[in-house]
Amino acid sequence: MSRSARVLSSLALAAVVLGLCRALGTVEGLALAGGLALVSGTAFLGGGAARAVGAVFLGGLLFGFARARCGTGLGLAVALVPAVLAYRFAPVRVLRRVAFLVPSLVVLVFATTILMYRAPGSPFAGERMSTPQVEARLREHYGVPKSAVAFFGIYMKRLVVDGTLGPSLKVRGRSVESLLAPALPVSISLGLLALTLATASGLALGVLAGLRPNRAIDHLTIGIATVGVSLPSFVIGATLMVVLSLGLGVLPVAGWGGYGHLVMPALTLAFPYTGYVARLARTGTLEVMREDFVRTARAKGLRERDVVLRHALRGAISPVVSFLGPAAAGILTGSFVVETLFDVPGVGQWFVKGAVNRDYSVVLGTAILYAALVTALNLVADLVHAWLDPRIRGQL
Amino acid sequence: MDRTLLGIVASLGGALALVGFTFRSTVDGPADFRFANQTEVSSLDPQLLVGQPESRIAEAIFEGLTRYDPKTLSPAPAMAERWEVSPDGKRYTFHIRQAEWTDGHPVTAGDFVYSWKRLLDPATASEYAYLLFSLRGAEAFNSFDGLAEDLEGPIPRALAAFQKAHAGGADAKSFQALARKIHLSDALRRATAPALQNLLGRSTGSIEKDELDAFVAALAPEARRLREAAVHAKAHFGVDEGVFARDARTLEVDLAAPTPYFLSLTAYHTTMPSPRWVVEAPGRRDDWFLPEHIVTNGPFRLAKWIVNDHIRLERNEKYWGHADVALRTIDALSLENETTALNLYLSGALDWLPEQYPKDLASDIRKRPDFYGERGMVVYFYRLNTTRPPFDDRRVRLAVNLAVNRTLIVRDVLGLGQTEATTFVPPGMTGYTAPETAISYDVPRARALLAEAGYPDGRGFPSIGILYNTSAQHKQIAEEVASELRKNLGIEARAYNQEWQSFQTTIRALDYDMSRMGWIGDYADPNTFLDMWLTGGGNNQTGWSSPLYDRLLHTAADVSELETGDVSWLDSLAHPDAVRKSLDETRSATDPAVKLAARARTRMLLLGEAERVLVHDELPILPVYFYVVSGLVSPKVKGFYPRLVFEDGHTTPNLMDIHPLRDIRMEETR
Repeated sequence: MSRSARVLSSLALAAVVLGLCRALGTVEGLALAGGLALVSGTAFLGGGAARAVGAVFLGGLLFGFARARCGTGLGLAVALVPAVLAYRFAPVRVLRRVAFLVPSLVVLVFATTILMYRAPGSPFAGERMSTPQVEARLREHYGVPKSAVAFFGIYMKRLVVDGTLGPSLKVRGRSVESLLAPALPVSISLGLLALTLATASGLALGVLAGLRPNRAIDHLTIGIATVGVSLPSFVIGATLMVVLSLGLGVLPVAGWGGYGHLVMPALTLAFPYTGYVARLARTGTLEVMREDFVRTARAKGLRERDVVLRHALRGAISPVVSFLGPAAAGILTGSFVVETLFDVPGVGQWFVKGAVNRDYSVVLGTAILYAALVTALNLVADLVHAWLDPRIRGQL
Repeated sequence: MDRTLLGIVASLGGALALVGFTFRSTVDGPADFRFANQTEVSSLDPQLLVGQPESRIAEAIFEGLTRYDPKTLSPAPAMAERWEVSPDGKRYTFHIRQAEWTDGHPVTAGDFVYSWKRLLDPATASEYAYLLFSLRGAEAFNSFDGLAEDLEGPIPRALAAFQKAHAGGADAKSFQALARKIHLSDALRRATAPALQNLLGRSTGSIEKDELDAFVAALAPEARRLREAAVHAKAHFGVDEGVFARDARTLEVDLAAPTPYFLSLTAYHTTMPSPRWVVEAPGRRDDWFLPEHIVTNGPFRLAKWIVNDHIRLERNEKYWGHADVALRTIDALSLENETTALNLYLSGALDWLPEQYPKDLASDIRKRPDFYGERGMVVYFYRLNTTRPPFDDRRVRLAVNLAVNRTLIVRDVLGLGQTEATTFVPPGMTGYTAPETAISYDVPRARALLAEAGYPDGRGFPSIGILYNTSAQHKQIAEEVASELRKNLGIEARAYNQEWQSFQTTIRALDYDMSRMGWIGDYADPNTFLDMWLTGGGNNQTGWSSPLYDRLLHTAADVSELETGDVSWLDSLAHPDAVRKSLDETRSATDPAVKLAARARTRMLLLGEAERVLVHDELPILPVYFYVVSGLVSPKVKGFYPRLVFEDGHTTPNLMDIHPLRDIRMEETR
């Protein structure tokens, strides 16, 4: 890097840190800047260091989970074995992700806490004004002091030492994990179904369209993709509800419990994703069909069907896989709109309710869940890429 | 088949298999009665819960000393099989019936003493503790220590700084601003010392140095007095004062002043008993009301609670009156989306849909035969910030009140038969007559008043903001009001919104000109609407204060004081003769029942005078309309009374919108 570039980027960095300090207060700003530096630092860890740090963090994470369930001794044993195995056998890429995940979750909690505290309102402000004494007592009871930094301390201690996401501040008597635990399978089953529908139909449409550009199937695909991406899900959902439930009476309007309850929310969730997947698969197919190796395959006299299935498909689904990683995290954590529309008790509602109610524990719990899922699914997407593309495999 | 295709098919197949693995089909048989219970229930702790969805469930699974008769909402025997009231109306003796909790424990008088003490215990931090402040010693038990703490620490510190800054005396305005910031009126709400009273009620003019010194000096004795009262209350409340058990089946309640609505309070969830052995069991934090732990004494028991989905209630076969309970099972659905709720009702999946339908369909839904809509005990109004221009001027406050065409809003925006509010207390309270009001739709007068206040044709009038919490309907109303003010007064008015939490913060900081609010009465008495406007009251939030208003409400809380004390101040009322006449009747009455009735009349007259101060003299508010409580209920549902039906055949609206699940029947069980 040139000297002037160095000076300029240092200046920019200093400005960012200064800006953080001005916006959040000196202590908070410096802490956040330091945390971010630490997180980005994990990218520069050498192979051996990344291995070691990743294995230690992995062990720590497992220990945290295991100890809350089965005590310190057994927890240690449960955590140690995978950590050692991971250090020995897991690809560096995986361990580097873990090394990145843990500090970034801490920074996430810190940043979220600071932002939450800066939002007007408080979890203890009801419509009927309570006295300062009542509020002070509630703050003490729930461990929510008036300072964001102090709350961060209490929360991290709860997370690390007690292995809990803390009590919900609005849904009395329940911990955040007891709210998310029953909601997660609901969102996951709905999300997976939607994801399967979206991927299968999107891929089929996209690949077919990519193979026959500017023909009827292509126009159909682009049409579906455009409609799927631009129609908001409450319109799709409401239309399905009017036609299938109120009109034909074949499905229940809303609710959760029976298999019939799965259909409409899954279709509603899947529709926009079908659009995205189809567009990506179409572009991927168009590109890959122009590649030299496809021409070679054709020149070798392979049948068109084999050219497509054996050679083109791989290239075509590659952008879809990159998209599906983060998209899966989104779809598996539910959608507020679809859940409220079909009265589905999933995770998506908590993202919105937590924020609206200033329920700090729920806000942090959902943020952690989402961040962990995004990181994990990105890792999965990376691994699938490596499997699909020999050029990437070498980097593992 | 090729490896890639195989991979794709296999992973999709795997995902589907996982769906099968994570999805559990959990369909119960359909319940006898299913209703939309609005938002998710956040607590079922009778002493702590707040909100209508919560109270609907709690009042079905717990039972208080009395219960609401479904036809008349008058108190009927419940856990108390009978009761006696002393002639002066201050002592109630309840005889507890032979009844059991769901775990077989007998229900005792001690359960009520425990629960009421729990409600009032400052450590419980219940928002509804004040509902039992009419019990002797209850307020001292609940809040005097906390108030004393404030008077010993933060308040003198803040006042010392104020004294230093205003060494030569201060103006009353800046003193009031400080008072609001440090919740002075709240801390001194029971103070009687003249040195304290003197400054608290002063909102104009100046304050001498001596007065301020005397004020500060009077704080310590007041704190001491509170401490002593708190010590006394802690030793006696629940033992031989306020509420106590004479024996296992006899409960004595000892009121500081006669409370005409007391037997309605004992039917309210806040006073229902909680099982001490469950609440305080080791390992319980505040999760004792979850289905796996809860023990109840009401007509139903909590069978299942799936968060964000539904609550299933089953008939409690141990309940003393289980033979009267027709429903075996009830599903209470938590629903966020109004359209979904309506669709569920229309598809027959719900039997009762209270309130939760898209309001823009109101005019169509209103025509359905299964629709009901009756006047409710809720008022929609705007607060006017009296601490800063332009609304610190009473003429301006009256002018805006006169410039809003409420009929237009009620008819064109709302359309459910809501009524224009020109007073504050919703109509229909037994024994209460609304006072004269200055509010009407009178644009010429409004313009004249505005000119008188120095803004002819709105010239020079500052631009004002009309704040509402985010909602489509509040927006429509606020924009209508803004356009009326622009059109009729020629002033610049702008409607703007904030989401609920930010909205609350803004209101509390008095950082607004006009802000929207709806107030639901806690009990059927004008007091629940009027006491929010007391000086420094937690829900006042307009900065408005009137010594006469405060005095009227405090006197109404115990009118017997008026029979012996000073009555000369009554001359400042609009109709002192009516109050005097009623007082004379009280004094001359020999029959205790007649005396009580006369006292109740005097009380209502005083409350009426107080409301007159609000809507005729001072106008710190702009009332808009009184709500209509509405919904859809299947014709199969019986024992459901949107209009109350009395013995003599006359009917009145079900103001509180209470429909005891205990008494609901289905014409044919599904």
